Amino acid sequence: MIDSSLDVAKIQLRDIHKDFTWKSKGRQQSTRALGGVSFDIQANEFCSVIGPSGCGKTTLLRVVAGLTPADSGQVLIGGREIREPGDDRAVVFQQFGLFPWKTVLDNVKFPLTIQHIPDHEATARAMEQLETVGLADFAGRHPQQLSGGMQQRVGLARALAVNPEILLMDEPFGAIDAQTRTVMQEELMRIWAQSKKTVLFITHDLDEAVLVSDRIVVLSAGPGSVVQEIVPVDLPRPRWEYDVRAHPAYIEARARIWSLLKQNLTVRVSGAGSVPGRSTEPSGSSAP
Amino acid sequence: MTADSTTTARLGRPAARRTPNGSMGHSARLSLRVKRLLVLVGVLAVWQIAGMFSLPLLLPTPWAVATALYDITFHGDLVPALTSSMKLLAIGFGIAIVLGCTLGIVLGRYRLFDVTFGPYLNALYATPEIALVPLILVWFGFGLGGRVVVVVIASFFPIFINTYAGVRDAPGNLVEVARSFGVATERGLLRRVVVPAALPFILAGLRLSIGRGVVGMAVAEVYLRLGGIGSLIVQYGSAFKTNYVLAAILPLPVLSIVLTKILGMVERRLDGWRTT
Repeated sequence: MIDSSLDVAKIQLRDIHKDFTWKSKGRQQSTRALGGVSFDIQANEFCSVIGPSGCGKTTLLRVVAGLTPADSGQVLIGGREIREPGDDRAVVFQQFGLFPWKTVLDNVKFPLTIQHIPDHEATARAMEQLETVGLADFAGRHPQQLSGGMQQRVGLARALAVNPEILLMDEPFGAIDAQTRTVMQEELMRIWAQSKKTVLFITHDLDEAVLVSDRIVVLSAGPGSVVQEIVPVDLPRPRWEYDVRAHPAYIEARARIWSLLKQNLTVRVSGAGSVPGRSTEPSGSSAP
Repeated sequence: MTADSTTTARLGRPAARRTPNGSMGHSARLSLRVKRLLVLVGVLAVWQIAGMFSLPLLLPTPWAVATALYDITFHGDLVPALTSSMKLLAIGFGIAIVLGCTLGIVLGRYRLFDVTFGPYLNALYATPEIALVPLILVWFGFGLGGRVVVVVIASFFPIFINTYAGVRDAPGNLVEVARSFGVATERGLLRRVVVPAALPFILAGLRLSIGRGVVGMAVAEVYLRLGGIGSLIVQYGSAFKTNYVLAAILPLPVLSIVLTKILGMVERRLDGWRTT
């Protein structure tokens, strides 16, 4: 922990390429999702990845999670290359990914059971995480008895239960209504402030990205997305103690990212032969 | 047995609709029972009268059937026959469960097996089991072996098809979740995700197949006449003891309904998360 790990970034992405191939009408089709993505995430950093839909954000997260192998390039975690899922990382899924036949408590215990942690300890740790997300009273319920927001709290508690160094979040609030999303963004920031994990946060929501992140990686439009720019967000923390949206740094970061996204969209729309200059903003945000 | 449960549902619904909270009120349930009982009494009365005016050989009266049932239950062959039949059913159904679940998982999860074996299993499914019975008995012997095979084939398909569908449609994202939390082996994925996700389907398959198993059991025994309820039926039939034939048939639907109900209860108990 003293020497090399200090100057090495927690997560290093090195020239990640990923193609998807499928068969259509007997012919091999192929599309390039990632066309050489490279960036670093520092330890304890909250880093978001944003980009137009279809740009391969989720693919990138899956590569870092070890769920999808990259065609070429490397993912280094703490300087070591990874190819498989590992205990150092935990994923929070967009569609929650809870097991409907398990109770809330057993869902949170699931990763601990896989790690062969004794049952009483697993229960204690799972309950602790359910306390953190405010769902201790719902431990005996089944996921489908809970609202979407509550289900994702369970998903978050499950990811936190293994105490991973890295939290990988794939549009975690994308399937949750707007009011609940606002509450959960703040909760996430509080939890992150306490636990200090390295977070890779995928989102298509510009405001969400600026609100929660230290840095925002903007991917270019697919196919073959690359890192277009990395935008730092110099907003003081804790961010729930003041009106973040009125802060000049917020407005500045938001405007910068919006202009980057708009470039992408314009290129794409005119490239597709439609009316140039007419662009749609990514959902979940309003015009600057 | 399936016909019975649909009829029950159809009769039950109007009565349930009358109460505003959706559940059947006490008096509604009572009056429903009374109505059902009245139907039974009516049918038995018509049967009794018709039986009295026809040859006992053609249409024995309900009373004669009841007497025959009493006779074979307490002084006759019903108990050993039923024991023998139950043994056959238990062995056959047990094998059908193992076979149905295994093949269902293998074909549902591995495409190669699905495309290579699937068409042949479908062809077998489309063949009436009863047409195969003589052949099965020649191949597998006229002892217990042949009869067990008939029961297995009769009850195999609902279990297999349901397991197959449940495994094939197992949500891929949950498999991903398990992988992301460190379930690395195929065996682990099957045990922790695929089979639990398919369990409601598998249990429904068991419930649907038990009735078919009872049919298979009776068919095999009727063909073989070597013990069991089926052979009892044939035995009384060739002696023209029609009331005894009916008395021996009566336990079959009862057995089927009781076993289906038991499996339905098991299903609701293990499968509570689906309905809650």
